[in-house]
Amino acid sequence: MQKKLIVSPGPHLHNHAVSTQRIMLDVVIALLPTAAAAVWFFGGSALMLMIVAVISAIAAEYVYQKLTHQPVTVSDMSSVVTGLLLAFNLPANAPWWLAAVGSFLAIILIKQLFGGIGQNFMNPALAARAILMLSWTGLMAANVLPHAGQWVAPLAADAVSVATPLTHGAEGFTLWQLFSGDVPGMIGETSKLALLLGGVYLLIRKVIDWRIPVSFLGTVAIAYFIQTGTLYSVESGAHNVLYQLLSGGLIIGAFFMATDYVTSPITGIGKLIMGVGCGLFLFVIREFSSYPEGCSFAILFLNVLTPLIDRFTTKKPFGFEKPTAPAKEAKA
Amino acid sequence: MSLYTRFPGGIHPHEGVNGKSATSVLPITETLPPSRVSIPMQQHIGAPAKPLVQKGDHVKMGMKIGEPAGFVSSAIHSSVSGTVVDVAPCVLASGLQADCVIIDNDFKDEWVELHPFENPEALDAAALSALARDMGLVGLGGATFPYSVKLMPPKVKIDTLIVNGAECEPYLSADHQLMLIKAKEIIEGTRRMQKAMGIEKVFIGIEKNKPDAIALMTKLCEDDPTFTVVALPVVYPQGGEKQLVYAITKRRVRTGGLPLEKGVLVVNVGSCYALYRAIYEGMPLIDRVVTVGGSVTKPANYLVRIGTPVQFLLDASQGLLPQARMMIYGGPMMGMAINRTDIPVTKGCSGITVLEKALMNSPETACIRCGRCVDVCPMYLCPSDIDKAMRKGWYDEAEKLGAMNCLECGACSWSCPAKRALTQSCRTCKKVIGDKQRAQRQQKAEAK
Amino acid sequence: MKQKKSIGTVFKNGIFAENPTFRLVLGMCPTLAVSTAVFQGLGMGLATTFVLVFSNFVIALLRNIIPDKVRIPAFIVVIATFVTIVDLMLKAFIPSLSESLGIFIPLIVVNCIIFARAESFASKNSVLLSITDGLGMGLGFTLGISLLSACRELLGNGTLLGIQVMPESFQPMAIALRPPGGFIMLGILLIIINAAGKAIAKRKVMKAKEAEL
Repeated sequence: MQKKLIVSPGPHLHNHAVSTQRIMLDVVIALLPTAAAAVWFFGGSALMLMIVAVISAIAAEYVYQKLTHQPVTVSDMSSVVTGLLLAFNLPANAPWWLAAVGSFLAIILIKQLFGGIGQNFMNPALAARAILMLSWTGLMAANVLPHAGQWVAPLAADAVSVATPLTHGAEGFTLWQLFSGDVPGMIGETSKLALLLGGVYLLIRKVIDWRIPVSFLGTVAIAYFIQTGTLYSVESGAHNVLYQLLSGGLIIGAFFMATDYVTSPITGIGKLIMGVGCGLFLFVIREFSSYPEGCSFAILFLNVLTPLIDRFTTKKPFGFEKPTAPAKEAKA
Repeated sequence: MSLYTRFPGGIHPHEGVNGKSATSVLPITETLPPSRVSIPMQQHIGAPAKPLVQKGDHVKMGMKIGEPAGFVSSAIHSSVSGTVVDVAPCVLASGLQADCVIIDNDFKDEWVELHPFENPEALDAAALSALARDMGLVGLGGATFPYSVKLMPPKVKIDTLIVNGAECEPYLSADHQLMLIKAKEIIEGTRRMQKAMGIEKVFIGIEKNKPDAIALMTKLCEDDPTFTVVALPVVYPQGGEKQLVYAITKRRVRTGGLPLEKGVLVVNVGSCYALYRAIYEGMPLIDRVVTVGGSVTKPANYLVRIGTPVQFLLDASQGLLPQARMMIYGGPMMGMAINRTDIPVTKGCSGITVLEKALMNSPETACIRCGRCVDVCPMYLCPSDIDKAMRKGWYDEAEKLGAMNCLECGACSWSCPAKRALTQSCRTCKKVIGDKQRAQRQQKAEAK
Repeated sequence: MKQKKSIGTVFKNGIFAENPTFRLVLGMCPTLAVSTAVFQGLGMGLATTFVLVFSNFVIALLRNIIPDKVRIPAFIVVIATFVTIVDLMLKAFIPSLSESLGIFIPLIVVNCIIFARAESFASKNSVLLSITDGLGMGLGFTLGISLLSACRELLGNGTLLGIQVMPESFQPMAIALRPPGGFIMLGILLIIINAAGKAIAKRKVMKAKEAEL
């Protein structure tokens, strides 16, 4: 028997290859190499932090939406992405409750209280990292040496901390170490190789736009080239372009954090402006402030500027012509 | 050497069963005429025609049964010979009602006396415009704009005529097949337009997925240096007027303006053929090619008499397949979904598309500001912002965002990962803003 | 049309229905600035209450005498007098509090609550009602600022009134003692209290409906 016909407004064809869930799944897939690298270098701690962060994020979203009688949207996987990104911003010896609190802050405070998915005014994972950094500075600053390939059980909170590649006066990190991730740092930030693999995957799948990563990295490269004049040399230590590009949270920030849809401009030119702005801010923070690393602050600052950038970079409709005075008179 | 420029945005929608690839190779089948036709008096933009017949009158094929009312209007002709059953309102595809002349077919196909033009070469714009008005010629690309207005002696010098053979809408192949069998006539009809309006260059734009039509047209235009066939990239909505003008001439039609202002005239291949028949055979517009595709048992391209009910075409295609869930009057992107099959085929109907459930939309979720709609919009709009403004009732804001420039092509809704009804929001904005502007104009006119 | 107000209603109004911190959202400056410890918060609240009660009293007494055109300077003179009294008293009897509150004691003069109540209540109502209103508002404010201080001190220090409440292993959340933390905590408290208020009101309406049936 013929089922009843559906009548709805057009268009009647839809692109089923993309959906919010599919996009989030692609991001999770892109983050898998980084997760693997995190476990390879930091062992049990990394695994524990990732699991706690993701589960807390999902739980936070579920509980909040249930309490406020809203439809539960956990299945769109955006909280999984937030939880994972937050975990990647924590040091290996962070206690489990830091990950849980961070996830709750990110999901409830930054995302849900402002209207849920699509309405957050800052990148949730980065904003939560900033709050954690200001609240428990000691716990967030401690960094441990990576144990490449050795399985290490979750670390105690007071493990010995060492200097990261960007701490002033740090020496002895080779380019390969920086690139592969054999350096101290936040568990998801260190392995640039894994991050770039994920970034390229996202670019191929057209999940992220090339403009933000390219303009962000490009601006930082140009700024450091102007300052140091060297692309790379062993003698210059940390003062060359490649070392700076491969240190700190720049790569993860450029590909995974700054490209968050909601908090980056919707226009093409706007995206370029954001990349340049982030790059400049990062340069200023790294060189002229007492913080060794400032990627999260740079991105957060541009997140807040995004609505303004959008307003000034919207294109006029195709074929728009400024009405000239005679035409105005003719119309009247 | 590329003859075209890529217009901004655009999408590549994929199709289900019996899509364009299946129907493009199907030659045009002439169906037996139906036993009853309902010919609406409103098949064009502008004022509906005034019925000239009443119940009980005997009509012949091609007889004028509707007189154009007003400047922007067109005549309506009977597509069968027989007896008028009634002149009553009927429901059309849009859901609105219009007066229809309902005729019982006597299957004799008696024509009225036809008067082809003796000296077609001497036709000028004024004569062409009068002919178009009398013969009921309207744009057959879907817009149904009366050609009496379009072909009037131009106030601005027109230097380019573009024949729209793009047919970018998925599933449809009516124009394609028409070009294959009536290429000479189309070109001849175009030539008459070219000479009458004094236009130098003619471009025939055909999408690259119709290589046989491109080859045929190119061969037939070989000797005429003023005719150029342009092979266009397969993008939706390549066939949109403004997009076509930009692609071929690089000129941007002003927002809210017509291609005429930039010296370009755009006509559909079907309309050119109808003009040819009107001039050389004296035949008014009484039939057109319609593609029946999608989830039907036997998809086909039919030559259909105006006023034929949709049910008749579905019967000819041996009915719907079991998974059919949506019937669309037109193409799947810009057509209207219908749920009754007594709706008559009008001059603007280029196809009946039947879709299965799998192709249809999922429920809406929140906008994630991904920007895909901005990337695909051919008019540089931001559908996400217009949608947000509409849902909050900020129609002035929507107007500032340029909602009136929306083509309603549907590219934004197609590409949205959150499955939001962006095109529908834009349509609503256009309606509200349009009503407000009309009311304002009326107030100004009354004040004077 | 003068409405009959009872002392009980006026008093409860200041604490619940029109709580200056959570309903009227007035006096935010001292609320956010000094609520880093319960001792400070309580001290500020009680000092403000003192000034509120006495300034309401005096302004109500003089309400028919103060000309309308100069009422604002007149109110400020009255309020400033009592703030000076409080300031000197605190310096003399609780110098530690006076030091930690610092400039916020003289700033009680421009606390919106005191001025708003003087303008909208004390200048239009009897002395007894005005004193009650001042007491209610002041206590409501004290309750509000103390609640916020308790949350911030607990999270940011692990203590309440200086006594270690949280276990030894508790790592205090430094941001709670800083301005951003203050804003966030206040926001969260507003959510909880408003949600609770709505739920209570809803239950009242439902009970009234059931009683009708």
